[in-house]
Order: sequence, then structure tokens, then C-alpha cells
Amino acid sequence: MNFRQVAIKNVRGNWHQYVAYFLSSVFSVMIFFIYAAFIFHPDVEQGHIHAAKGVRSGMMFCEYIIVIFSFFFILYSMSAFLKSRKKEFGLLSLFGMTKGQMRRMVLYENVATSLLAIGAGIGLGALFAKLFFMALSNLLDMENPIRFFIAGKALLLTAVGFFALFLIITLFTLFQVGRSQIIDLLKASKKPKSPPLASFWLVLLSVCCLGAGYYMAYTMNMMNAIVYMLPVVALVVIGTFFLFTQASIIIFRWLQRRKAVYYKQTNLMTISQLVFKMKDNARILFTVSVMSAVILTASGTFYVFFLSSKEQQMDLVPQTIGYYEKGLNTHAVLDPEKVRDILKQDGVGLDYEVKLVGASAKLPVIGRSTKTTAAMIVSEDAYNEYGQKLHRNRPTLKVDPGHAVYVIPYKEVTQPLTEIGKPLHVGVDDGRMELSLTIDRQVSGGTVAYPGGVAHELLVVDTAQYEEIMLTVPDDNKTVVYGFELNHWTSAGKTAAKIEALVPPDQQTAFDNRIALYAATKQSMALTLFIGLFISILFFIASGSMIYFKLFTELEEDRDQFRSLNRIGMTLNEIRRTVTTQIAIIFFVPCFVGIVHTMFAMKALGNLLSTSAMQYSLVVVGIYIVMQSLYFLVARRSYLSKITRSFTS
Amino acid sequence: MSVLKAQGLTKVYGSKGKMLYRALSDIDLDIQKGEFVGVMGPSGSGKTTLLNILATIDKATSGKVEIGGVDPAVLDDRKLALFRRRELGFIFQDFNLLDTLSIKENIILPLVLDNTSIKEIEKRLRQSADLLGIGAILDKRTYEVSGGQKQRAAIARAMIHQPAILLADELTGNLDSKAAKDVMDSLKDLNEQVGATIMMVTHDPFAASYCKRIVFIKDGAFFSEIRRGTNRQAFFQQILDSLSVLGGNFDELSTSRN
Repeated sequence: MNFRQVAIKNVRGNWHQYVAYFLSSVFSVMIFFIYAAFIFHPDVEQGHIHAAKGVRSGMMFCEYIIVIFSFFFILYSMSAFLKSRKKEFGLLSLFGMTKGQMRRMVLYENVATSLLAIGAGIGLGALFAKLFFMALSNLLDMENPIRFFIAGKALLLTAVGFFALFLIITLFTLFQVGRSQIIDLLKASKKPKSPPLASFWLVLLSVCCLGAGYYMAYTMNMMNAIVYMLPVVALVVIGTFFLFTQASIIIFRWLQRRKAVYYKQTNLMTISQLVFKMKDNARILFTVSVMSAVILTASGTFYVFFLSSKEQQMDLVPQTIGYYEKGLNTHAVLDPEKVRDILKQDGVGLDYEVKLVGASAKLPVIGRSTKTTAAMIVSEDAYNEYGQKLHRNRPTLKVDPGHAVYVIPYKEVTQPLTEIGKPLHVGVDDGRMELSLTIDRQVSGGTVAYPGGVAHELLVVDTAQYEEIMLTVPDDNKTVVYGFELNHWTSAGKTAAKIEALVPPDQQTAFDNRIALYAATKQSMALTLFIGLFISILFFIASGSMIYFKLFTELEEDRDQFRSLNRIGMTLNEIRRTVTTQIAIIFFVPCFVGIVHTMFAMKALGNLLSTSAMQYSLVVVGIYIVMQSLYFLVARRSYLSKITRSFTS
Repeated sequence: MSVLKAQGLTKVYGSKGKMLYRALSDIDLDIQKGEFVGVMGPSGSGKTTLLNILATIDKATSGKVEIGGVDPAVLDDRKLALFRRRELGFIFQDFNLLDTLSIKENIILPLVLDNTSIKEIEKRLRQSADLLGIGAILDKRTYEVSGGQKQRAAIARAMIHQPAILLADELTGNLDSKAAKDVMDSLKDLNEQVGATIMMVTHDPFAASYCKRIVFIKDGAFFSEIRRGTNRQAFFQQILDSLSVLGGNFDELSTSRN
């Protein structure tokens, strides 16, 4: 048995500890390699694939994230391994192994695992690259899928890059080896654990930090966002740190004083062991919860942006097909009869139709670069009728003669764009008629029909007054907005395209088709989500692997404890229950804390976008909980089988 | 009344085709209520195997065990664990106290597991602590007390649920002579004042001299049995004589052995 074999035997012997770390490394190598394969793909590099340009730069950004993240993750994991093997090193130096030899052994071990991880990562990457390219081609709507090709550059960059990364980190960690006294190393695992102490003031600080951070996030708006952003992050991170290192201990101490809870069957074991585990694991749990918060907030933000841009489109193009024309019967853009014909031909159901007739008007505005703006005068009856059909919480307006309500399409704009409550001079139909109207209020985001051109803003007036105005406007000068809301509109893209083709090229600006808009956003969002997904999974797996590793370094100690407990009559079920509760708390508490942080971040985002981001992000949170539960089940299963295997002998 | 009854216990290690090793052969043992029995024998004589079978954590190849009228062999794993928890008390060489618990919590563990009321727990704790003289260290952690105190705490844990029998395995093995004496005195008090039934496996003639009866085994079989008179000093000498007859390796005495 030579030296290298000893090193490899060590790796095999500690396999259970290594496995989660190893898989995380393999996964990061794999993702890096697949992205690299795309970035260096000859078709992509030479710009044959037009749509791939943006994707490529997004992926390059992700590559940097992967490298930076991998650096810290591997550094942490490697030094954690060395720490957990103190006793082994003590024994080896007792037998006369020199520091140099020990370092060489660790170097061999790490080189062996790194090569294995890089090999496995590249192998799996090559295996899945084809699938990845196919999915990407599909998302890019490409006729011919990106062909399978692995560029030499990608291979070289991944292999050499990661090997260098592993090696540099190993050299860093080697400084730790052989620095302690033998006696300390041997006693390391036997050192009695003192019960953790917590400071009341630090707990108070934690509560205050979290409270203040949450409050600021909750009340964040456009005005204070820039000032609040960084302090919120700092406060929440500090609060979380002391929550785990201090407050957790206070909570468990409090539970321990409540005898009715504490002295109840397995609670005694569960809680007392958790107190110690919390102390050892506080930093990890803190890191994992911050990481969860980051993953969740990032994915949640993307998802919310996607949904809110859909919402925005629903507001800006209220009906699937919308266009405006000047003249009641001119049909310079499109004859509504033709639209109906095509819909009938294609068998696409019509939910409802809009024909909003009005007169163009000019009214004075404030706070804009121009003095006046164009708006379309419509009747309150028409507005209310179409507003109700939208089912999008449009207000029912009641306007007195001589008054008007000013409607703009953007709900983010809350400040008044025109003077409210003062008689204003309004010119109708290119100044052929003059009116004095008092604007009662402004409705932000209140469109009921396609807000294009002259119909961009509406002036809703009393129906009788509207009739009067319209009498003076000749038919050819009237403005008409048409809208067709289709049933199952997201799948009617072809029909909509057919209709759009009928619009003369010079009239395209008067026409809009929501399906085309939606498809474009959907594609870019899907691409972002698809690329970001792998990064999220990488973070997720790595954070889980930290917990997993911690669990398995404590395994031996726990196993001895549970074995003696089983001897004095703790049943297997009770042991399972204790272990399950402990692992569940360690897995789900950071998950839960991360989710709460995310909820507040989403609340802030919602304030900024004026949507209910919190509800939307629940989808992301749900997925995360499911994945974390799977991780928990796997960890619990292998942990329990390790613990209970020793009982049967 | 017989508390523990073992008949024809035999334990054979090894499977078909391989070398068979007979760790125990045809051991009979009968322990009456209130007895204090020691089991002695040289290394490899089968003491620990016997104890493990009686402790229901190992199964005999043949033979029968009955503790408090129950045959543990017919119980499933869960019932067996509950049986150990309620009917048996264990004292180990390495104490097996949990670091994460205070001395008090370690002692009451069997009661807490059995969901005993807090009032009852406190009452029994006070009784046991007084009897064993550990009332002052109840709130300390395991690493803050001496080996002898740890072992007395372990004894308190083994008896707090009033088991049918206390099983002790080399309980003085990790202690210095002063601590060993304290622990054995406590065990004797327990036997004499409360009437606890005790079976103890040991190497140590001094510890064994506290027993009322000693069974010697050799090569897995019954060898001889002696009973104590009134004088412990004389009994100690008697034990040493028996051991020299028994032969075998007793050099290690109270050195570490698991």
C-alpha cells in the first residue's frame, strides 16, 4: 500500500461525508460546462443564431457567478472536512507522520476528488448538452435546433479552470494541516461541549434589526427605494445572524424551562440535543437562510416581472386585438367586418367587442414637457359598460355635466398630470369647439379600450353632454377605438397574425395585437428563467449540502448516543421521531426564515411595481418548499439508516 | 421469588461451513428478588455475552431466559425496547451519560420517555438522589463532575423507574479506587435499603467482594459459585483464592475493556 492508495482509501472511507459536497461540485462543473459549450458553440460564436446573442451574454454572466460561488463553496467545504478529521490527523502524527507527509496526503485526496468531480461533471455535461440545446432551441423558436457540438475551448476552459480552482483552494487549506498540537487534535472530539449562552442585548438587537428591516421593506416605495435598499439588506442580514446565534438559544432555553413541554417523552432528547446543534450550526443555518432568501428573491423577482409584464399588457392592450381609426366609417386601418369574418373562419370564439366612439380634444397639462395633451372625449355610459366587461377593477364613473374624469393608461403614475378641481379650457375637434370642463379626478391605469394615438388618454364626460358635443363633430372627424377580446386568447396567435396582415403597412402604429406582445415577453422571460434556474438549483444543492455535511460530521457522536439510549430502552420509533424532528428543524428553519425575508422583499417589489408580488411569488416559494422537503427526506433516510444499522448487531 | 431465570443458555458464533465458536454453553442462572449477584471469569470467558443476552440486546442460540416472568425472546423490537425501559436498569463501564443533558435530566430520562407526570418525576428524583448522595450535583453538566459522581448518577438513572433487576457491566472499570469504593457502597445501600436486585459482571475482586453471591464462569461454562458470609474482608480473600483456582488472565484487572 503506497501513499497515494492511503489517500484514496481515506476518501472512500469518508465517502458519506464527501457525497453531498462531491455532488454539488459535479453539478457546478456540469452547469459551467454546458454553458461554456453554448458560449463557445461555433454557430453561436460566429453569430449564425441571431437570437442567441442576448442569451450568450446572460450565460457569460452566469459563468462568473458559478466560479465565484464555487470558490467560496469549495473553500468552505474543504476546510470543514479538515476540521472534522482532527482526530485522524492527531493519530497519524502520533504514529510519526510528518506535517509534509500529511499535507501531501491531503493534496492527493483533494486532487483525486477534484479530478473525479471534473470528470463526472464534464461527462454529465456532455450527456445533457444535447438536451439543453434542444430546450434552448425550442425556447428561441428556432426552426433547426442547435446542433450538438462540444467546442474544444469549452472543454479546456472547464477542465483547466476548475482544476486550478480546486488546486488553489487546496493549497489554501493545507495551511490548516499540522498546525495544532497532537494532544489537542486527539482530544478535539472528546472536548466536552459547554452549554451555549446567549446575550439578551444581542437578541434585542436581532429583533430590532429584523423589525426595522421588515418595516422599511414593507413601506418601501418609488421615492425612498434607493435610500432604503441597502440598509434593509444590511439590517436583515445582521438580524438573521443574531437570530440564529443568539435568539435560537433563548428560545430553546425557554422551552427547557417549561417542564410540561420539556419533560414529555422524546422532547427531552430532541430539545437538549438541538440546543447544542444550534450552537454548532448557527453560522451554517445563517448562511443557508441568507442564501435561500437570495435564491427565492431572485427567482421570485423574475417570476413577478414576467407576470406583471403580462398584467401590464392586459392593461395596455385591454382587448386581444385593438386599433383606432379616425372617421366613423372610413376603415383606413381595418374593417371590423373583416375581423369578424376571419374569426368565424378560424372558429375562434369572440368574448366581446368594443366600439368606443369619441371626439378628440386638447387639454392643458402640468408637469410635462408640453403644455397640452390630446385626449379622447367619451361618455360615462360607454366607459362604464366597457369597464365592467374587462373584469379588471375599473371604477364605475359618475360625472356631472361640465365636469370630467381624466383617464390615463399607466397605473404607476399617481401624481396628477392635469389640474384637478379647476375649470379647464378644453378644445374639441381641433379647436372647432371650446369647452370649460372641471376635472374631478384622475384614474391611473383605467383604460377600457386600446390606448393608441389620440385615444391614449380619455376624458370621460356626462352622457348628455357627450351627445351634445358629438352632434357638432362631423362623422369623418370622430375617433373610433375597436377592440375584440377573444376566448382563449393566448392560443389564438395564428388568427391574430392573419388579422394583423390585413392592416396596411402605414397604419401599423394604430393597431396592436396582444398575443404577439405576450409571446415576445414570454420568450425572453422563459429564457431568463431557464438559464437562471440552473444557478438557483446550484445554490440550492450547495446550501443543502452544507447542512448535509454538518449532519454527517455529527453522525458518529449521535450514533453512540442513540445506541446507548436504545440499550436503556428507547424504542426505534422514538429515536426516529427525535432524529426526524431535529433534522426537520435544521432543514426547514433556514428555509422558513429565507421565505419570510423573501416575502418582505416581494412586498417591497410589489410596492415598486404596484402589483401584488407577494401572492405571485408564492408559486416560487411552493416549489422551493417541495424541493427542500425532498432533500430533507433523502437526508433523513440515509441518516436514520446509518444510525439504526448499528443497533441490530 | 425468582426475578431472573436462565436455563441452558448457549451462544454459538459463526455460520455454516465456517469455524464455530461456542461463547456460552449451557449456562443456568437463577436470581432471587433482593439478591446481589456477581459474575466473574477471565477474559473471553463469556461474561459480556451472558450479560448481553440477559440485557435482551443479544439473543441466545438456544436456552431460555425469563425476567419477571416474561420471556423476552417472544417480544418484537419495539416491545423489547419498552421492556428494557421498564423492567431493566443498566449501568455501564463508560457511564453512557449524555453530554447534552444535565445530571438531573440524565437521571430522569427513563421516566420522561415513559411520560410520567412531572410531580412523580420530581418525587422519585429526590428519593434516588438522596439515596445515592448526589443531590448537590443535579444541575451540573456531565463534564463538571467526577467519574464516581457520574457513575452514581448512572446508577440513579438505572433505578429511578424501579426496574425488576439492575444489570451492571464493569461499573468500576473506569474509576480510581476511592471512587470505586464510593460507587460500590452506594450499590450496596441500594441493595440493602431498597431491596434492589442486582447482577454485576466484573473483573475486579474488590468490587466483587460487595456481592452476596458470585458465579464464576470459564470458557463459556459454569465453573463454581461462592456465597458471602458476614465479613467482606474474608470474602475478598475467598474470591482471590477462587480466581487462582480458575486460572486464566486476570492481569488486566480494572484496565479499560469494553
